[in-house]
Amino acid sequence: MEVPRTATNSEHPRFALPVDSEHKATEFRVCSVAAPHMRAFHLSWISFFSCFVSTFAAPPLLPIIRDNLNLTATDIGNAGIAAVSGAVFARIAMGTACDLFGPRLASASLILLSAPAVYCSAIANSAASFLLVRFFTGFSLATFVSTQFWMSSMFSARVVGTANGVAGGWGNLGGGATQLIMPLVFSLIRDIGAVKFTAWRIAFFIPALFQTLSAFAVFLLGQDMPDGNFSRLQKSGDKHKDNFSQVFYHAIKNYRGGILALTYGYCFGVELTVDNIIAQYFYDRFNTMGGLFCILLGQVGSLSASIAVMLVFSVFVQAACGLTFGVVPFVSRRSLGVISGMTGGGGNVGAVITQVIFFRGSRYSTETGITLMGVMIICCSLPILLIYFPQWGGMFCGPSPEGTTEEDYYMAEWNSKEKESGFHQASLKFAENSRSERSKRVDSASTPTNETPPTHV
Amino acid sequence: MESHLLKAFLIFFCLLGTCYGDVLFSSLSHTLVVTASPNQGQVLNAGEDSITVTWGLNQSFPTGTDELYKEVKVNLCYAPISQVDRAWRKTVDNLGKDKTCQFTIVNKPYERNQSIEWIINKDVPTATYFVRAYAYNSAGEEVAYDQTADGKKSSNLFEIQAISGRHLSLDIASVCFSAFSLLSLFGFFLAEKSKRRQVKN
Repeated sequence: MEVPRTATNSEHPRFALPVDSEHKATEFRVCSVAAPHMRAFHLSWISFFSCFVSTFAAPPLLPIIRDNLNLTATDIGNAGIAAVSGAVFARIAMGTACDLFGPRLASASLILLSAPAVYCSAIANSAASFLLVRFFTGFSLATFVSTQFWMSSMFSARVVGTANGVAGGWGNLGGGATQLIMPLVFSLIRDIGAVKFTAWRIAFFIPALFQTLSAFAVFLLGQDMPDGNFSRLQKSGDKHKDNFSQVFYHAIKNYRGGILALTYGYCFGVELTVDNIIAQYFYDRFNTMGGLFCILLGQVGSLSASIAVMLVFSVFVQAACGLTFGVVPFVSRRSLGVISGMTGGGGNVGAVITQVIFFRGSRYSTETGITLMGVMIICCSLPILLIYFPQWGGMFCGPSPEGTTEEDYYMAEWNSKEKESGFHQASLKFAENSRSERSKRVDSASTPTNETPPTHV
Repeated sequence: MESHLLKAFLIFFCLLGTCYGDVLFSSLSHTLVVTASPNQGQVLNAGEDSITVTWGLNQSFPTGTDELYKEVKVNLCYAPISQVDRAWRKTVDNLGKDKTCQFTIVNKPYERNQSIEWIINKDVPTATYFVRAYAYNSAGEEVAYDQTADGKKSSNLFEIQAISGRHLSLDIASVCFSAFSLLSLFGFFLAEKSKRRQVKN
């Protein structure tokens, strides 16, 4: 339903969507590409999707690659671990980069820096070179952090969860889509006449080009915040250029970041692990390349149970990831980038640990590994019960009886000298807007709002 | 409802195996004889070199033994050294699940004393191999075999060197595109810096 610009935004005529006091959108319109909010959304999820496609482009082609490069199960396991381990620290670094330089520059730079690794996958000729290209390609998964940061900068508390969830989810879809895309591209190239051992190499140019083009789009069409880019806002004094050690310190001090990192390790980490192992598992266990296309080719019977289980598993894993990242924007305002980075990095740590224990070499068969992974997921998800926000409560208890407010929680990150200089203003605005997170029990009095009420035609 | 459906699928899957009456390797009669041209330890190149294979009935068995043999299939099989830490090449007794022999040299109706020259396919990986022939009855089940290696698969093995799959044009394209990515990043940074200088002024 199209709402006329002027009618919706008499206070902010230059935005297509209704916005709050920070100029963040209060609505999420997925079919719109209006600058800056929805355009940022589409740019971020598409570029993140391309990174996932590249990082997991190798697993579906492993039945051919392992023969071409003479890989053992240990080599394959190590390469899979390398693919997800690079991003552990890259995600934390990305969080810092976003805090300091803005998500647009940070993500486009990382994507262009990791694109050469994807191009060079085509010329890998040994287990060592294969491991290296997967390691450096995997760095691009850090764009998850910039996606979340960018969405948190563009959308208000009311819709930030949806924006983060949809952007993260559609991006992660790349890990699944690539399991279908790469075999299709490979067979197309092979049918044109290339030999198998050459066809897979050519196939890698597709994700590489996609990644390069998406980086260009982010650079040329993107914008860090609703009011402009970091560099312009910093120069004009609207955005205070924060101090790295202060940002890092406040992130590390917050225990909630640690818990979210652990639980994310066992939903997202598991997802990454499955992205790495599942194609080979289906191929070898069900003995046919058709197993990969089973949904497309309509093969049923022996594969149905596995596919059904995978679908259910996938729904729950994605829901868990989305819920974890629904909480992240509220853990800290000053150190949003580093907290996002820690949680995202924790996801990759989970993937590394899981693959090292269960999916490397020949100690456990893949079937046994998957079962044991399930047990570990349950154990590592329990700490989320311990998260507590004094202004809103936790899973089993209400908010602090001292009446801590959102302002108290977010202002605790700034010392008095910083407050005197006015550096905390952005956090103050955020605190006010986050009052919408209160549960019905807490928010007995109606909260005055500066937001323009949406009008409907 | 969903749990019943899941159980039904699982039972169906298990029965599928028994439906096909899987043949065991240990049940086959060793009545064929097969020889291949590569010597012990010889290294052949995929796509260039060829293997000459000859097969027939082992003369020490009576003439009527091979009356039931309707079809013969000669395979290229992995030696144990190439199966280490590679579960996708595992040897199991159940021939329906056995993955030792993944390349077919020839598959034709059975006749005594035949031979063929086979140019090694370009998708054969680098590994150590031996040759094995299976004879099938009219029901399509394996009934007899022979292999060029001994029972333990430790002697009379040869190696095949695979093609790399790389081409000069691919190498050049990879390097060029990589350089292009890095150069464009550098270009964007310069553009960003000049924009900042503009804002300052």
